Amino acid sequence: MRSYLLTTAAAAAFALAMNTGAFAAGWDGADDLPTSPLACDASAPAAPAAAKPYDGGKAINAPDKAGKEITLVDVPKLIGIGYFNATSKGIADAAKEIGNVKVTTDGPTEAKIDEQIKFIDNYITRGVDGVLFAANDPVAIAPVLKKALSKGIHVVGYDANSTPDAREWFINQAEFNGIAKAMIDSLAKESGEDAAFGIVTSTFTTPNQARWIAEMQAYAAKCHPKLQWLETVEAQEDNVLSFNQATTLINKYGDKLKGLFGMTSVATPASAEAVTKAKLCGKVAVIGLATPNAMKPYVNADCVKSVVLWNPIDLGYAATYVMRAIVDGKLKPGATSVDAGKLGKLNVVNGSEILLGSPFIFNKSNINGFDF
Amino acid sequence: MSAVASSPRAPRIAVRHEIILAAILIVALIGLGFANDRFLTLDNLLNQGRLMTEIGLIALPMTFVIITGGIDVSVGAIVGLCAIALGYSWKNLGFPLPLAIVFSLGVGAAAGFANGFVITRIKVPAIITTIATLTLFRGLAEGISQAHSVRGYPEWFYFLGQGDVFGVPTQLLILLIAIVAFGVALDRTSFGRTLYAIGSNETAARFSALPVDRVKLAAYTLSGLTSGLSAFVLVSRVTTTRSDMGMGYELDAIAAVVLGGTSIFGGSGTIWGTVIGLVMIQLLKNGLALTGVKGDATIMVIGIVLIASVLIASSLQRRRE
Repeated sequence: MRSYLLTTAAAAAFALAMNTGAFAAGWDGADDLPTSPLACDASAPAAPAAAKPYDGGKAINAPDKAGKEITLVDVPKLIGIGYFNATSKGIADAAKEIGNVKVTTDGPTEAKIDEQIKFIDNYITRGVDGVLFAANDPVAIAPVLKKALSKGIHVVGYDANSTPDAREWFINQAEFNGIAKAMIDSLAKESGEDAAFGIVTSTFTTPNQARWIAEMQAYAAKCHPKLQWLETVEAQEDNVLSFNQATTLINKYGDKLKGLFGMTSVATPASAEAVTKAKLCGKVAVIGLATPNAMKPYVNADCVKSVVLWNPIDLGYAATYVMRAIVDGKLKPGATSVDAGKLGKLNVVNGSEILLGSPFIFNKSNINGFDF
Repeated sequence: MSAVASSPRAPRIAVRHEIILAAILIVALIGLGFANDRFLTLDNLLNQGRLMTEIGLIALPMTFVIITGGIDVSVGAIVGLCAIALGYSWKNLGFPLPLAIVFSLGVGAAAGFANGFVITRIKVPAIITTIATLTLFRGLAEGISQAHSVRGYPEWFYFLGQGDVFGVPTQLLILLIAIVAFGVALDRTSFGRTLYAIGSNETAARFSALPVDRVKLAAYTLSGLTSGLSAFVLVSRVTTTRSDMGMGYELDAIAAVVLGGTSIFGGSGTIWGTVIGLVMIQLLKNGLALTGVKGDATIMVIGIVLIASVLIASSLQRRRE
């Protein structure tokens, strides 16, 4: 009797635990901020954004190191993945090119905001001239960044933003609506206007991914209203989990599924691998954000036609130049552009963001020319 | 009565372990202090105290639970659930914030009570129960919040997580009070004696007419309650609520308890040991980071140091016996 009770109780507890997954069905992974979908027509120029006053923060009593050597730390969301290896390469390249900048990259091995906060906190104690970061959570990271600013440490974000007043400038790799348009247009072109699709994202609270998904919804509703949104699944930024989640979507929706979006540089190759393993190349289109090296096998095998991204090396490169420009007093609130070495002049958008450029689509004809 | 009679001996062994551990800690601190001049500063140490509080609050009742021979791996998930309960009840249900805080603490206590109830009444082993509730509570947190963060708390709410009282981080004071309270409860009350008795020999404790189930229920409920408190401190420190908060906290808390000399088989252990274990892990991580050891290497070094200090402590102890 007792063992019977025990097993039923354990089974019931597990069943309950598993059932909570059912909540997931209704989630789309989008955030609830306002969206601004671009025009459907590719040739239409982007509407000029209304000029916004500078809304970034300010380093308090920062020592004047114009022209002098500065020590920086780069704390990405996590270390050891291709994407952030590429950004830190760009950061290091620019530091070498400029000369009087020393930079180390250090960060958590998992994309955990709590760990990231502790890393930044330790570097504040250790004493650096500037912090470069890619936030795991825009709000949770704000207090520690404000602490850095209050101690005279310059703060510049790239890739994933914080609340504006917690940093000075942010390097925006591509505007969200631009990425969303590129993704949705590619799907409609490859799988048809009425394709049903699923999304593999990192987590529903990761700021970039949530923003892109929200913009994708808005743009799809405006320009490709017949596309069918099946489900968005979370896969952290984990290789195995991404593969499993993509496989689950393939099995769950069967023939209905015509496309998969990978929202992270981990999810996209894992989704392509899942489609390859399921022998569905050509039947299920995989479109996503990823680095070219990870996608070359699938693109060359004709399993994936479009990979959407910017150049993460350029992103890191620009971040170092922006930091140097702040320290040298060349980039002040109200500026409209900044000089970023080989990238030329980059424009200021949204008050305190510096725009890297428009998104780039890698395909079979150009992907082999890139190595990162 | 054999269990009760044997219990006073258990703490004495643990005290020796703590002294050895404290000596290792001091040596490590001096070494790290020489390696980096910013490590042994008041500013840094107080800041580490601030960062340590969330795990510390969980590690205290975890010591009780492990002394009884049990374990609670659901604490990290309870932190997530309580954080969501706090944010959600305030933002979506319209509770006034103070009420939302109390509500969230209540949710934590209820979650701990549920663990204790299943363990003592339905007799499911603690590890199975809390693995199951770990997924259950985390799933609830994600389900209720729909993975949306809650932000925009009023300024006064941040006092606990970011403020100071006479230069000491607010939450560190709470941790200190909790340490004293838990230490006294374990050392000086019949409740504490009963925890040891249960861990040494649960059957004997039952035959001695000790309120075994009630005491265990209380230990798990306390565990849930302080997880709720930990969530409050965490939300106040990082100014936002996320359903993935507290992920992995159970391992950090258990590591501190076990490093502090509490036997994973139950029956022995002290709060002071746990505190030393907690401080040791936190300051080692911080000291290594300040000395320039990178994140991935720090984790490895910490692992090696943990194993080494347990080995040194236990071999010294064996030689003396």
